[in-house]
Amino acid sequence: MKTIILFFGVIISISTFASDEKYFAQMGKQVQAVYTAKTIDEYQVAVNAFDRIASAEKTKWEPFYYSGFGNIMMAIAEMEGSKKDSYLDLALTAIEKGKQLVPEESELVALEGFVHMIRVTVDPATRGQKFSGLSMQTFSKAIGMNPKNPRALSLLAQMQLGTARFFNQPPTEACETARKAAAIFESAAESENPLAPRWGKEMNLGVLQNCK
Amino acid sequence: MKLIYTILLSTCLALAAQAQTKISGSVKDDKGEVVPGANILIKDSYDGTSSGIEGKFSFVSEESGSRILEVTFVGYKTFSQSVQLSGNEIQIQVILKEEINQLDGVVISAGSFTAGEEKRRTILKAIDIATTAGATADIAGALNTLPGTTKVGESGRLFVRGGDGSETRTFIDGMVVLDAYAPSAPNTPSRGRFLPFMFKGTSFSTGGYSAEYGQALSSALVLNSKDIAEMNQTDIGILSVGADVAHTQVWDRASVSGKVQYTNIRPYFGLINQVIDWKTPPVSLESSAAYRQKIGKDGMFKFFGNFNQTSFSLFNHDILDPSIKQQLDQNNYYRYGNGTYQQSLGANWSIRGGLSYSFNQNKLKLDGSPLSETEQGLHAKVVAEHSVSDQLEVRFGSEFYDRNYEATRYNSITDTNESLTFHEPISATFAEAEYYANNHFVVKAGGRLEANGLSNYASFDPRVSLAYKPGKEGQFSFAYGTFRQSPQNQYVRIDDQLNPEKAEHFIVNYQIITNRKTFRVETYYKKYDQLIKFENGNPTLLTNSGTGFAKGFELFWRDNETIKNADYWISYSYLDTKRDYLNFPAAATPSFASAHNFSFVYKHFLTALKMQLGFTYSYSSGRTYYNPNRSSDQFNADKTPAYQDLSANVAYLPKSNLIIYLSCTNLLGHDNIFGYQYSSVPDAQGVYASRATRQAAPRFLFIGVFITISKNKSVNQLPNL
Repeated sequence: MKTIILFFGVIISISTFASDEKYFAQMGKQVQAVYTAKTIDEYQVAVNAFDRIASAEKTKWEPFYYSGFGNIMMAIAEMEGSKKDSYLDLALTAIEKGKQLVPEESELVALEGFVHMIRVTVDPATRGQKFSGLSMQTFSKAIGMNPKNPRALSLLAQMQLGTARFFNQPPTEACETARKAAAIFESAAESENPLAPRWGKEMNLGVLQNCK
Repeated sequence: MKLIYTILLSTCLALAAQAQTKISGSVKDDKGEVVPGANILIKDSYDGTSSGIEGKFSFVSEESGSRILEVTFVGYKTFSQSVQLSGNEIQIQVILKEEINQLDGVVISAGSFTAGEEKRRTILKAIDIATTAGATADIAGALNTLPGTTKVGESGRLFVRGGDGSETRTFIDGMVVLDAYAPSAPNTPSRGRFLPFMFKGTSFSTGGYSAEYGQALSSALVLNSKDIAEMNQTDIGILSVGADVAHTQVWDRASVSGKVQYTNIRPYFGLINQVIDWKTPPVSLESSAAYRQKIGKDGMFKFFGNFNQTSFSLFNHDILDPSIKQQLDQNNYYRYGNGTYQQSLGANWSIRGGLSYSFNQNKLKLDGSPLSETEQGLHAKVVAEHSVSDQLEVRFGSEFYDRNYEATRYNSITDTNESLTFHEPISATFAEAEYYANNHFVVKAGGRLEANGLSNYASFDPRVSLAYKPGKEGQFSFAYGTFRQSPQNQYVRIDDQLNPEKAEHFIVNYQIITNRKTFRVETYYKKYDQLIKFENGNPTLLTNSGTGFAKGFELFWRDNETIKNADYWISYSYLDTKRDYLNFPAAATPSFASAHNFSFVYKHFLTALKMQLGFTYSYSSGRTYYNPNRSSDQFNADKTPAYQDLSANVAYLPKSNLIIYLSCTNLLGHDNIFGYQYSSVPDAQGVYASRATRQAAPRFLFIGVFITISKNKSVNQLPNL
C-alpha cells in the first residue's frame, strides 16, 4: 500500500512539475513577446496570452502582472483618451487580482502607480493634481515594501523630473532617485524568480540624460 | 498487486495521451465588423489564441470533454459557449455584443451640466469653477457663466430660466441644504457657503432633473463631496480680507479635514470707497469639518459640518431725504450638518441614505428694534439602486423633510413680541428606471409622489428624459417633467394653507463633445402655475392663482484645443418670460429677468512664467423695473441699462507649494445699475423720488497668498482657488 501512495505521490509531483515547466516555458515566451512588442496589436496578442495563462493558473501573480504591464503599454501607445482609460481600467483589474494573491509584492504596487501616472496624460490639466499625487504616493509605497525595486525608483524619478520641469527647478531630487535605480539595475541583483520583472533600465537612462 | 500497477499505469498513460481538437472560426461584432485581437480561450486552460487581422482564429486544444470557450475583447461583453472537445474539429462564428459604455455612450444631457474630475465627457470640471475670473472661487459665480442663467448682480444667486434665486435648490451628497448662501447687505451679492474644493463633482441642472430631487422649481445644484483624502497636508491662506487655515489627516481607511476662516472686510473698505454707508462692515468666522470612513468592504460613511457666524451694521438712507437714516444691525448664525452612508448589497443592489440638518438664524435690529427669523430644517432620505441588467437600472427611495420657521419682532406700540411660525412636514417617495437600449439610445422615466403635511396637499410629478446618439459624437436629448416647491417663507408664515408653486419643463438639446471641444444648443419652454398672487393687491390675502411662462434658447461653445495653453468658453442665453403673480396687475417680465445674457471666459497658462491668467466678460441686457410714477398699465415697462463686467485674475506659482493670487472684478469700472428703488410716498410735487441700485464699489480687488505644507511637494492649492 505504501508503494501505491508513494507511486501516486511521484505521479502528482511529476505532473505539478510538468505543469510548472509548462508555466515557465509559456510565461518566458510571452514575457519576451511583451518586452519586444511595438504595436498595440502585438501587445494585445501578448496580453491575451497572459490572460489565458491567468485563467489556467489560479495561484500565480506573474500573469496578472504582465497583463497589467501590457495593458499600460497599450494605453501609452493609444492616442484616443477614452481608449487609453479602458486599457488602464483593464490594467488595474489585473493588478488588483495579482494583489489579492501577493498583497506585499512591491512590483505590483509600482505597476499600480504606473497606471495612475498614465491616467494623467489623458487630461493633464484636470487630472494632474489628483493622479500625480496618487502615483507618487503609490511609488513611495512600493519603495517602502522593497527599497531595492529599481522600477518603483525609476518611475518615481520620472514624476520628480516632471514636477521639477514644470516649476523650472533643477532636477536634483529626480537625479538622485534615478541614480539609486541605476545602481540596482547595474548590480543585476535580480530576483531568484526567473519571471520577475526586468524592464525599466532604458527608461531610467532617459531620466538620467537630464542629469549632468 | 501487479494488476493494480498495470491499471494505474495505463490510466496514467491514457490521461497523458490527450486528444487534440482543432477549433477555428471568426470574431465579428454585432454590426458585422471583424474584431481582430480578441482573446479566444478554453476556460481554465492554457489553450487559446488571438484573432487575426481578418478576425479569424484557429488553434488546437489538448483538453478534452465538455469545456467552456470564452471570447473577450475590450469594449465588448464576454462571449461564452460550451464546447465538446473530442478530437473532432470545431467551427465557431463568434458575435461579440457591445458593452454599454457609461463613459462614451449616450447620456442624458438635456438641462444638465455635469462637472466632475474623473469623467472626460463633462462640460465643466471642478478646477474650471475654481479658476474662472470674476467668480472669486464662488460656485454660483462660476456657474453664472453658463447658459440658462441670468446675471442678477446685486444678488449673487443662481437665477435660472426666468426663475428667481429661491427656485434653485442646493443638495450636498443628495441631502438638501437650506439657505445655501451667506447673508449679505441689501443689494450686495451674497456668496455660496460651500467652497468648490470640497466637491469632486458638481451637477448643475437648469431643468428636467431626476425625480430624486424635489422642492425645486427651476434648478438643482447637486454637489458630491470628495471621498477619503489622499494625503496629509496643511493649507494656509493669507488674504487681503482675512486668513484661513486647513488641515487634512489621512489614515488607512479614513480621513478628516477641517478648515477655519476669518474674514474681515473692514481694512479693505477703509481703503476703497464704498457706496454703502457701513457702520461696521461684515466680519465672519467660518469653520467646516469633513470626516470620511470606509466601513467593511465597500461601505462609505461621510460627515460634513459647517458653522458660520457673520455680523455687520450699516445705515440705510431715506430716498426722499438722504439725511434721514436708519441703522440696520444684522447677525447671522448658521450651522449645517450632513451625514450619509452608502453600501453595496451584493453585486446588483446598493443602498444609500442620509440625514441633514440646517439651522439659519438672522437677528436684525432696525434702529435698535429687534427682529429675528429662524429656520430649521431636517432632511432624511433612503435610496435603493438596483441593476437589473447592464441595460436597466432602477432607483427608488423615500424622503422626509421637516421645517420649523419662526419670525419675531418687537412691537413698540403694544410693548409685546409678535411672532409668526409654521411647521411644515413633507414626505415624498420617488422611483425611476433608466434603460439603455444600446450605446445610442437611453430613456429615463420616473415619478415623484409628495405629501405636504402643513397644507395637506398631495401631488404626483412625472419626469421623463431620453437621449439619442446617432453617431460617435453628437447627440440629441429631450426632457420633460413637473416640479413643485413650497412658497417662500414670507408667504407661508402668513397663510400656511397655500399650495406649492408648480412648474412644467420641456427641454430639447443637441450637443457634440469631441476630446477638447464642446458645442451645445438647447431650447426650452417652461410653464408656471399656482404661483403666489396677492388678492386685490393686498399682500396679506394670498392665493395660488398666479401663472407665468419662460421660453428661450441657449448656446454654448468651449474649446481648449485651437489656442495652445488656452481654454475658453462662450455662452449665450435668450430668455422671454412673463408672470402674473404677487402684486403684478397683469402679466409682465419680472425684474430679475433679462432677455440676453452673454459670457466669455478665457484662461491662459503661461508655462515659462509659471502663471495662469484669466478673463471673464459678461453682458446682460437691461432688466425691467417698476416706476410708480407711471400708470398701472405700464407695470415693469422700464428697463435698466445693460450690465457689463470684465474681470481678470492671475495665479502665480513661484514654487510648487506656493501660489500668489490676484483678482479684480469690473476692470473697466462700468457703472452697473441693477434697478431703481422708489420712495414709498410721493414728494410735494406728487412725484416718487428714485435711487439707482448700484454696485457697492466699482471694483473688487482681492489678493491672496496660499501655502501648502505636505510631504509631497508637488501639491498646491491651485484647485482650491
